[in-house]
This record gives sequence, structure tokens and C-alpha cells, in this order.
Amino acid sequence: MKFQLHSGCVEQSWPWFAILNFGILIDPLAAVMLCMVSFVSFLIHVYSVGYMSHDHAKPRYFAETALFTTAMLGVVLSDNILQFFIFWELVGLCSYLLIGFWYRKPTAAAAAKKAFLVTRVGDVLFLAGIIILYLNIRDFQIPDEAYLLQFQTMFAAIGHIPPGQLTIITLLFFGGAIGKSGQFPLHIWLPDAMEGPTTVSALIHAATMVTAGVYLVARTFPIFLASPDALTVVAYIGGFTAIFAATMGLVMNDIKRVLAYSTVSQLGYMMLALGTGIVIGAEVVGVSMFHLISHAFFKALLFLCAGSVIHGLGLQDLRQMGGAFSKMKITAITMLIASLALTGIPPTAGFFSKDAIIEGTYAYGVHTGSMVLYALGIIAALLTSIYTYRLWFMAFTGKPRTNYHAHESPPSMTVPLIILAILALVFGLVAHGAFGGFLEHTYSEHLIEDAAAIGGHHLATEHAHPPTILFYMPIIVGVLGFVISWLIYSKRVINMSSIVSKRNPIYNLLLNRYYQQKIYIEFIAITIVYRVLAMLGEFIDRRIIDGIIDGISYVIITIGEFIRRIQTGVVQHYAAFVVAGVVVLIILLQGGIL
Amino acid sequence: MNYSPLIPELIVVLTGLIVVFFGLFLPLRVKKGLGCISALALIASIVYILKSGVLSTSERAGIYFYEAYAIDSLSQFFKLVFLAVSLIVVIASIKRYEDNKYQDEYYGLLLFATFGMMIVASSNDLVTLFIGFELASMSTYVLAGFDKTNPKSLEAAMKYFIIGSVSSAIMLFGLSLLYGVTGTTNIEGISAYVAVNGIADASGIAILVFLIAGFAFKMALVPFHMWAPDTYEGAPTMISAMLAAGSKKMGFVAAFKVFIVALIALRLDLQSVFFILAIITMTYGNVVAISQKSIKRMLAYSSVAQAGYIAMAFVIMTPLAMGAGMLYILSHAFMKSGAFIAVGAVTHMLWTRNKNVENADYLKNFAGLSQRAPYTAFAMLIFVFALAGIPPTAGFVSKFFLFSSAIQAGYIALVVVAILNSALSLYYYARLVKYMYVLPPAGETLKEPRAYLLAMLVAIIAIFAIGIYPAPFLDWAMNAAATIGM
Repeated sequence: MKFQLHSGCVEQSWPWFAILNFGILIDPLAAVMLCMVSFVSFLIHVYSVGYMSHDHAKPRYFAETALFTTAMLGVVLSDNILQFFIFWELVGLCSYLLIGFWYRKPTAAAAAKKAFLVTRVGDVLFLAGIIILYLNIRDFQIPDEAYLLQFQTMFAAIGHIPPGQLTIITLLFFGGAIGKSGQFPLHIWLPDAMEGPTTVSALIHAATMVTAGVYLVARTFPIFLASPDALTVVAYIGGFTAIFAATMGLVMNDIKRVLAYSTVSQLGYMMLALGTGIVIGAEVVGVSMFHLISHAFFKALLFLCAGSVIHGLGLQDLRQMGGAFSKMKITAITMLIASLALTGIPPTAGFFSKDAIIEGTYAYGVHTGSMVLYALGIIAALLTSIYTYRLWFMAFTGKPRTNYHAHESPPSMTVPLIILAILALVFGLVAHGAFGGFLEHTYSEHLIEDAAAIGGHHLATEHAHPPTILFYMPIIVGVLGFVISWLIYSKRVINMSSIVSKRNPIYNLLLNRYYQQKIYIEFIAITIVYRVLAMLGEFIDRRIIDGIIDGISYVIITIGEFIRRIQTGVVQHYAAFVVAGVVVLIILLQGGIL
Repeated sequence: MNYSPLIPELIVVLTGLIVVFFGLFLPLRVKKGLGCISALALIASIVYILKSGVLSTSERAGIYFYEAYAIDSLSQFFKLVFLAVSLIVVIASIKRYEDNKYQDEYYGLLLFATFGMMIVASSNDLVTLFIGFELASMSTYVLAGFDKTNPKSLEAAMKYFIIGSVSSAIMLFGLSLLYGVTGTTNIEGISAYVAVNGIADASGIAILVFLIAGFAFKMALVPFHMWAPDTYEGAPTMISAMLAAGSKKMGFVAAFKVFIVALIALRLDLQSVFFILAIITMTYGNVVAISQKSIKRMLAYSSVAQAGYIAMAFVIMTPLAMGAGMLYILSHAFMKSGAFIAVGAVTHMLWTRNKNVENADYLKNFAGLSQRAPYTAFAMLIFVFALAGIPPTAGFVSKFFLFSSAIQAGYIALVVVAILNSALSLYYYARLVKYMYVLPPAGETLKEPRAYLLAMLVAIIAIFAIGIYPAPFLDWAMNAAATIGM
């Protein structure tokens, strides 16, 4: 596969007004995202024609998804951080609208609110990062035509920022990325976002919103590279999220929720990949983006398959499904392909992309002497494999657990499935070589070296290749997971009822999702924010500020009523005012009062 | 000598003469065409000015008639403002006065008024300036009383005329003093004289105050504004639009020429006077606007307040402030004329249903307008939001540049007052929106006249063009500011 190289970059910036420039930048990084976002969005739109055919709010649906895609493309094409932020916010708004698409359903409305508020936390951090960055570089001398907040100019200026500030800026940027990409601890909105139509889940979890966070880190990678502390945080948060979310994926019964946790977990992998850049350098952008793209394909496929299952069976709970294989052959097979890709079985796209990440963590381990990240990656891969095949076996094999009438979905839905399945199968084979090389040209070599020098660390020139057994580790755990799931969920050799019981504390912990509901909602949101902060704010607002405002408005309205009477309607008075005005002004000026 | 830069003026005045002349002979049913001809003439002038390229340079394009008349980007910028307002008014009037047998005189007077304003914009001499001022004033005195069966209209014209005459007298006194001191009426000549010989404190202050009083009458700065609410309310709504959006700006361009070019030596006095006037004007306008029942009157006070914002440019006196002030003038022309035309549309619709509706422009008649006349209501929504300064409208960028220029120049207190005032103004703008969109309709659905909609559409397009991509407009404004030595 041939890509146009660096000379083919498109870069154009127009001054808009004040310090706002509006520009587009198409470099390899943007080009890759551009292709993926528009392609996956296109397929999802086509699929939606069938999926949403019974919905009365179709116009609103397509308007909102189109706006969502626009916003995402705007993020991808932005050439400066401020414009990036504007579209970033627009993505957030659209996600709110789409998650709450069925706004009459209380759970959907609540999920939309939750997504909006939680990502807002990240957005505020991101904005704070931009402001601190601007304050640090605003005195930096730049050529006349250049624009300070443009990425290239910004990267040239990072050497002038004190290291402490730089770490704060990058961590704040990462805060934004955490919010959008559903990383721990701001991941809680993502599983709830399943309340929207399944197509929206596919759009949010595969092609658009969640990748924005990864894209932000990739886009500003030189800044991250210049502050190794922040990059280490990125790596560990990513690794932790990968395994943390995978454990919860094991026990979810809602087909879409399993996939949601899987998304969180896979995004963790991407962040993990970027985090290893501290050792490997800019190559990780390629590795991470490769996983992002292949994930986009197979995760969109998984969601669309899930949508097809929901559409065909009318069920969403895995415990009620079973044996749908014979009724929905296309869906079942495409979903199996997607599962193979997700679990990294060769020759699917997921194999190449996940393998590259785990190899990176190994190199990181050799370089730093800590194999924690590698272990996280491998264990998460095993868990991924288990929950993925659990889903597939529970839905498609065995006997139906309830009575339902299954039918295969219409062609407008199955055709996108087939296209995505082909891509999930062959994309890795075709692209894995060219991809990294293509993306390497996003940042010039000396920019990366400079950034690393600012960060005060050396990039490893030779990559440590893991020994053969470790090299095959991802495949081994992938297959292992398949076997475990097959034994448990298809052959049922182990009686799950002893494990799946309320008395098992681990199962309980996972099923209750580590009691996040209690921690986030009941403790943080309700107790701290609502009971303490909001009530305090309410008291101040109502008693003090409102009092002042009411007082002022009362005074102003009273004054207005009073002054109105000056306007007598008698023209002689008006003339008198003109003359009086002249006299008063002359007296004031002559008397030196003014 | 190349007289082609004068073509816009010639088009306007010749069309005015043609309209008046042929109007004498034409039967009523074809007189509507005269409005169309006037509109076409205005469009031709606008296109000519835009095409001539004078706006994008700060060089003077020509000087005529013994240095009494100059064409530069300042003059063309203001001509654009006057012509645009005139165009919007004419388009809406085609419907409003389609059955009026004096409509030829109406269009003629409108064009003469526009011509007078254009003269002021180009004047390089006090006498030319005064003549232009008076031509525009005389024409608008008559226009304000054009609905002669309506006593309110006559009252409006009468008050406007009396206060206008008093102000003209004061202004003329100031001009004659200026001539007496400097011995010339040429604006650049005065500037050169003052630069060499200075100007005595006592006479300088008298001249300054008299001229401020004269110009502030047009600008409607407090306390010289008192005619404005009565006149805007009583005059035909189209003419209120013309006065508030167009002829008000004549005061500003005269002030730019006389104060900034000729009397820049008095800048400290000028700044302190305008500091007081700006603050009083914006506060007074906004506070009183809150308690108005009539929308026209509310818009009149809002227009007083807006003049207060624009007057900030004379306090700050930096190039950016001048440019921002001019951008504000351009934006305000569209926002305010649009808002008045929207009110005109509502009153027109009510009158077509029932001739005897009294106080048609009162707030209560706007209840539920979004259901009765959705396009008009939506246009009105845009206009009031623009006036309040909400992005992405022209009102936002104008305020943004003006206020940020004030902050750059260190006038923090002034900006705080201005921003508080903007917040205050949102109250009465939002109240109108509440009436239109939240309250139940006050009657059945109305048929929205197309000419009005077209006029509003022109204003809306301009408002969003400036609001979304202000750079070229700000360039023009900065060029205009550069021609007066900023």
C-alpha cells in the first residue's frame, strides 16, 4: 500500500479574528485519521438507514450524526490547538445529543448528562492546559506570518517553557484525553453511553469520540516527549485502564456493555503504546494509531454486529440469548471475525497492532528494568480473549435460553458488516509494514530529538526483541482465552453457578464494577459535590448573590421608572436640556474639573 | 481631473431627481416601480464603491471643488453605511407605501437625505459639512412627518425639527467661532493652523462644546438625545430605521473629521468630555430602555446606549479603537435598521388586519410572534441578539474589538461600565425574545409581507458576514481610521 510522503502535507492557516486562526493541516497522522473517520462514519450511516428505519426521529438522528462526524473531522484537520479545542467541544456536545437521542427514556437522559459532565471535567483540564501553554509561550518571538498556537510553532516554542510548567501542561492535556477516551478515572461515562442507539455506540466507540483523546496525545506528542514524567503517567494509566476495564468486561451481561468495557480497555492499550514512546520515540505514534485504526474497524464491526443481534433477536441480555448462529449466519460469522481481531489472532488486523504494542512494552521493560507494563499488557490480553469469546458463545451457540424469533438483518445492515469484516481480516496484513513508516513522517526527526533532549532522556536506538516464547505470548493468551471460554460457555464443563453467585466476593466486586457507582455517584457526586459544594454554593447564591442582584435590578428598574419622567414630551424641556448640557460642559471644562 | 469617484453620489442624486420628476406624471399603479428604481440606484452605488477599491487603501482617491470634497476610505466606508441602511429602508418601503400617492416624494426625499449624508462623509470643508448636514436633516424632518394622518408622526417631526434647529444653530455658532479663530473653513487648513499657532483655551473649549452639542444631537448622546425616543416612536418605522441606523452615523463621521483631524490639539478635553458622555449615555439608554412598553421606543433607547458604546472610540483614541468604532458603526447600521424593519413588519401586518390598531408596536403585540409570523420573529431574534452582542453576530465582534482596544489602552473602568451595560441590555432584549417565543400567541397567524422579509434578509446576511468573518470589514475600518491620521 502506498501513501503519499511528507512532501504532500497540506497546511493552510487563515487569520480569523483576534488571536483566532482557522486552518487545516493534513499530515500523515491527520490523513490516516481522516480516512478512517470518514470511512467508518460512512458505513455507519449506511447501516443506520436500515437500523433506524422504524424511528420517527430519523431527521434529527441523521442531522446529529452528520454534525458529529463534522466535528470529529474538524478535530482531525485542525492545525492549531485552539481550533482543535473548539471542535473537541463540539464533539462533546454531539455525543450528549446522541447518547440522549431517546431522551424520553430516563436512563438515556441520565447517561447523556453523565457523559457530558464527566467529559467536561476533562475538557476543563484541557482548556486550562491551553491557557497555561499560551501564557508561557506568548512572548516567544515568532515569524510574522506564523501563528502562535499552531502545532508546529508551538512545538518550536516548548524549549522555552520551564520543565515544571511543561509537565503541568501535558498532564492537563492528558486530562482532556482521559475524559474523551474514557481512561481511568474518567471512564465511567462510556459504558453508560450504551443508552443511545447502537449505531451511535459504534460511532462513539469506534470511529470518533473516543479516538479523539488518543489523537490529542499523538498530535501533541512532541510536548509529551519533552516531559517524561507526564509520558510515564500516560503509560501507566493506559496499562491500568486496559486491565481494569477488561476485568469488568468479564461479568457484564448486556451485550453492549461488554463491548463498552472492551473499548475502554483497548483505548488503554493505545495510551499504553503512546506512553512507551519515552523509550521508543515517535515510532509509537505509528504503533498507537495502527491499533486505533484496526480497533476502529473491528470495534465498529462488533458494535454493528451487536446492533444486528439486538435488531434480529429483540434482546440485549446475553443470558437470554443462545443458539442464534443458525438464524443469523452473516452476523455470527462477521462477529467471530471481529472477535478474532479483538483478541489478536493472526492474521487479523488486531494481531499486528496489538503485537506491536506489547513488543513496545517489552522494549520499555528492558530499557527501564520494570516489566510491569508488559505484564499488564499480557494479562489484559488474556482477559480480553475470555470476555470476547464468552460473548460470542453465549449469543450464538448452544440452545436458546428464551423464546425469541430471530431473523437476519436487512442488506443495508449486513453489507457494512461484511465490508468491515473483510477489513478487519486483511487490513493488518496489507498495512502493517507501510503504516509505521508512513506515520513516522508526521514529525521531523530533529523535532523528536529536540523534544527528547528537552525531556532529558535518550531514545533507545536498538530495539530489544523479546525471546521467542514471549514473542508468541499474545497469541498464546489469545488462544488460551478462547479455550477457556469454549470450555465454560459452550461445553459447560464447569458449573458456573458456584462462581456466579452473590456470595463470591470477587464476582460481586466485578459485577458491581468495583463499586464505582457508589464511589463516583454516591460519594463524589452526591455527597461531596451536591450535598457540600452545591448546597454551599446555593446558599451563597440565594442568600448573598441573589440578594445583591435583586437589589440592583430593583434599584435599576426604579431609577428607570424615575428617569423616564424626565422625558416629559414637552419639546421646550428638551431644548432646555440641550442648552443646559452645553452650559454644564463648558463650566466643567473651563473650571478644569474635567 | 478624474471625477469617476463621484459616481455614487451622482447616481443617488440623479435618481432622486428623476423619481421626483416622473412621480408627478405617473399613475399610482406604476409608482411602485419608483421604489424599485431607487433600490437599484442604491445597489449600483454600493457596488461601485465596493468595486472602486478605495476601501482597501488608506490613500486619498481624489479631492474636488477647491479642496472642499475628498474621497478616501473613511468617506467611502461611511457612504457604504448610509447606502446600505437606505437600501434596506427602501426595500421595505416598497410594500409599506405601495398605495400611497406621494410615494415618489418619499423615495426622492430618502435619496436626498442619503445624498446629504454622503456629502458629510466626504466633506473636507466646514461649509460643505454643514450643507450636507442640513440637506440630510431637512429631508428627514419631512420624512418623519410623512404619515400625515397620524398625529404622532406629526408630533415626532415637529419635535425633531425644533430640537434639530436648535442644535444646528449651536453647531453653526461653533463652526463660525472656529472660522473666526483660524481664518479658514478647510478642515486640513484648520488642522495646520492649530498645529502651528495652537488654540486659546477659552475659545477652544467653547468651539469644542458647541460642536459636540451639534454632532451629539445626531448621535443622540445624553443629554442631547431627548428628541430621539419621541421621534423614533412617532415617525414612520422605516424612517426611524433611517434615523437610528443611518443619520445617527452622520454625527459620528462629522465628529471624526472635525475632532480627530482638525482639533486633535484639544484631544485631552475631547477625551474627558466623551468619557463622561459615553458613560452617561450607555447607562441612561440601557436603564430607561428596560421600562419601555413600546418596542420602537425601546429600540430608540437601545440606540442611544449603542451610541454611548461607539463614543468610547473618542475616549480611547488608538487606531484599533477608531477601527473598532467604525466597525461598530457598520454593524449597528444593519442590526438597528433590521430591528426597526422587523417592528415595521409587525405593525404593518397588524394594520393590514385592522386599520385602527393603536400602539401596534407595543410589547404585548409581540406575544407568541414566533407562531404568528415565524420568519419575522426569527429575524427579530437575530437582530436583538446581535444588538446584545452575542456571537457569531456582527454585534459580538464589534463589541469584542472595541472593548479589547479599550483594555489595551488601559481604560479598564470604561470597559467594566460598558460590559455591565451590555449585561443590563440583555434584560430587555431577552424579554422581547421571551414574548415572541415563550408566551402564547396574541392572535391568529399573520401573512408576512415579502418585501419586509427581503429587507431583513439583507440585514441578516450582513450581520452574519461581519460576525463570522470580520477580517475584511475590520481592514476597511482600519484603513478608514488611518485616513484620519490614526
